[in-house]
Amino acid sequence: MSIQTILGNEAIALGVVEQGCRVVTAYPGTPSSEILSGVVKFKKQLNRNIYTEWSTNEKVAFEVALAASWSGLRAAVAMKQVGLNVASDPLFSSAYTGVKGGFLIIPADDPGPHSSQTEQDSRLLALTAKVPVFDPSSPEEAREMVGLALELSERYRTPVILRPTTRLCHAVQSLEIDDLIPPENAIPEVKFRKDPKRWTATPKFRNLLHKELNNKLLEIEEEFNKSTLNFVLYDDINSSIGIIASGVAFHTVEQSLAELGNQIPILKIGTPHPLPRKIVEEFSARFDKVLVIEEPDVCIEIQLNSREKVHGRFDETFPKAGELTPEVVTSILHTIFNKAGITVNSPPNDVELEDLVSSLPLPIRRPRLCPGCSHRSAFYTIKKEFGSKGIYPGDIGCYTLGMNLRAVDTFVDMGASITMANGFYQANQILNDKRPIIATIGDSTFLHSGIPSLINAVHTGARFVLVILDNRTTAMTGFQPTPANTELADGSDAAQNVSIVDLVRACGVDYVKEVDPYNQDEFQELLQAAFEYSQSLSGSVAVVIADRPCVLYDPTPLNENPIPVVITEECDGCRYCLEVFECPAMSLSSDKSRVDINQKICVDCGQCLDSCYKGFILPDLTSIINKQEVPSLTRSD
Amino acid sequence: MNIIVAGLGGQGVIYLTRLLAKAAIIDKHSLMVSESHGMSQRGGSVVSHLKVGGNKAPLIQRGTADLLISLDPDEAVRNLPFLRRGATVLVNSEDGLMQEVSEQITRLEIQVFSLPANRMAIELGSPAVANVIMLGLTTANPLFELNYESILVAIDIIGSNGKELNIKAFEAGFNSGKEKYLEYIYSPSKNSK
Ligand code: SF4
Ligand code: SF4
Repeated sequence: MSIQTILGNEAIALGVVEQGCRVVTAYPGTPSSEILSGVVKFKKQLNRNIYTEWSTNEKVAFEVALAASWSGLRAAVAMKQVGLNVASDPLFSSAYTGVKGGFLIIPADDPGPHSSQTEQDSRLLALTAKVPVFDPSSPEEAREMVGLALELSERYRTPVILRPTTRLCHAVQSLEIDDLIPPENAIPEVKFRKDPKRWTATPKFRNLLHKELNNKLLEIEEEFNKSTLNFVLYDDINSSIGIIASGVAFHTVEQSLAELGNQIPILKIGTPHPLPRKIVEEFSARFDKVLVIEEPDVCIEIQLNSREKVHGRFDETFPKAGELTPEVVTSILHTIFNKAGITVNSPPNDVELEDLVSSLPLPIRRPRLCPGCSHRSAFYTIKKEFGSKGIYPGDIGCYTLGMNLRAVDTFVDMGASITMANGFYQANQILNDKRPIIATIGDSTFLHSGIPSLINAVHTGARFVLVILDNRTTAMTGFQPTPANTELADGSDAAQNVSIVDLVRACGVDYVKEVDPYNQDEFQELLQAAFEYSQSLSGSVAVVIADRPCVLYDPTPLNENPIPVVITEECDGCRYCLEVFECPAMSLSSDKSRVDINQKICVDCGQCLDSCYKGFILPDLTSIINKQEVPSLTRSD
Repeated sequence: MNIIVAGLGGQGVIYLTRLLAKAAIIDKHSLMVSESHGMSQRGGSVVSHLKVGGNKAPLIQRGTADLLISLDPDEAVRNLPFLRRGATVLVNSEDGLMQEVSEQITRLEIQVFSLPANRMAIELGSPAVANVIMLGLTTANPLFELNYESILVAIDIIGSNGKELNIKAFEAGFNSGKEKYLEYIYSPSKNSK
């Protein structure tokens, strides 16, 4: 037996590998990204035969895994919660058709939100799609639930969701690992068998399948009523108040009660859909007041038959938005106990200290593009060419941070930059608004869902400039390969890479140019030409591909040609460069008299040279001659 | 023991956290850690929560941390509310914490020890090892519960930037720490070395 530390996402991955999933797919997205890389790691470590892929998008990932399940193999698909929106079409359909091999869907929710555009609750989507949900509270439990979920999926021939949240995905827990791993089972004697009434069900049969699904859910609810995943903690304690909790919130509640020095019964729900109503009702009957504590929304609460003595998010006992942090939970429980005349400890936080710290002018650390990031050069030049009158639809990735340089005005979802540009163009026609429209999208996002948008824009005759920021990787989520790379999910170099330029042409775009955005002048000329083309008589969408690898992913071109810079004595601290270029390596000196370069993080890209209009940022010639070694570009965070 | 590790993206907060986590399991403690990923890493404030031998909630509640290790003085101040009365702050700074908090620090009996780890790291040859210097300072603290040897093994197992340099950085932090704590409450018997 050995104790190891394991990241929540990797605990899920280990479950997926040890439970014999044969096909595992994903599209990267925080907080879910380490699930697939974990599967790759464990399949290599344990020498398991598993097909893994980073798919083009979540719908693709879902369907590839689904086909494996329909062929009788165990399969899993992972994504972030908004990815399940993209995959919601096959989600709903496959709930009706059912599955064959165990089929596990893992959408990671993001209460807060920390890295997402919404705080949506995948369990509510599951409720609508009529898919059972397992809601783990710790990495350890998540790993355990993988097997139980796959087994349920096989018995009822239904897809099953395992829903972790950010705090679980990014928690590292100590676990006993080695001994528990079951041996790999032989490849099952299965294959895809035709079944027209199911796999190609027409509306008439769909109606039957819907009824079948409803019956499955009733039976599963019965089963969940007996499941040990739903249990009561502090069961024998007398109390007028009881708590129903699920997911990470369960452990947060446990901790809050410890801080307050009070214990009351907690019904821990591991399977929030279908809700094990019998357990819930029997539990609730024992108390005057029942608190429902779950994240990020109301999956358990919404399924209750009666909410008479229930306090949760609906009556705003718990806030309707935001994460249930230990502070939030403790302070609410404290108030409730006080009102009920139960004496408890005060919350442990020191209000005086908190007030002082929040009143201090600590630097606001908004996320910024890395030093040397090619996106910064691209946004800087776009902004320089089109100024503040440009309309800048942006997209999802590191480069959403182009908003800091005021070169991203909107982001909606994956691929929306192009469609929003298309829509702005049509609206501007009606409004007689002549402002230039410049959309930006990353390589992975373009391949994810930019292509149909581009086809639509070309087809309907929209005119705008599209800049594809091709940094040759999915940088934001940890450098997963895209279909434009030759790398596969398992690290091998066997992929057939698709060409973004060819794809753009095939969408009907005549004007496509590639340029290294580090060559700011050339890039600017091309932007100008692209815009002119888009406005010309026979013009259409013009595409400029800003082609340079992410400086963290592949620093080779930078290391080959470093340009150290100095800020001269004449710098007067006007902050212009900080405003327009915002490199994290540049900051105002402590006496605010000038801007200094932090050599610890400066990567000598020389891209800021143009950002001082007074010409006080210069190439550091002495250093270029003396300095053989460039600071190494590693990022340990 | 509840530990908060704070700093800025790129300073190696997560690496430092992982070293502590590794050492904790070598010492056979149960462990729950919460890391920052994604957007928060792009140059913003980064903070990890490390619970050694505590419960399974991933986050430490404000007012309950025993130790705050910060690679940046402003981030140290930002995270002060996590500390309980009598806790310890170890900060990478030339001159401790900003004046404005000293009254509260005294009131809450919080002890602050600072080390110019950035400068020391550059002297050692790599600005990247400031985090490991701070780990040395941490390990020398008499109240720190993890074993000196376990920390060294952790560095050996998951060392980056070259092991030799890491060990050098660790020792530099440890030795300066010993001197510092001696001035206060250092008693060698409480630590394994
Ligand atoms: S990871 Fe790469 S693409 Fe993302 S901000 Fe940093 S340099 Fe830019
Ligand atoms: S050279 Fe300029 S832009 Fe490049 S990293 Fe250094 S300060 Fe930032």
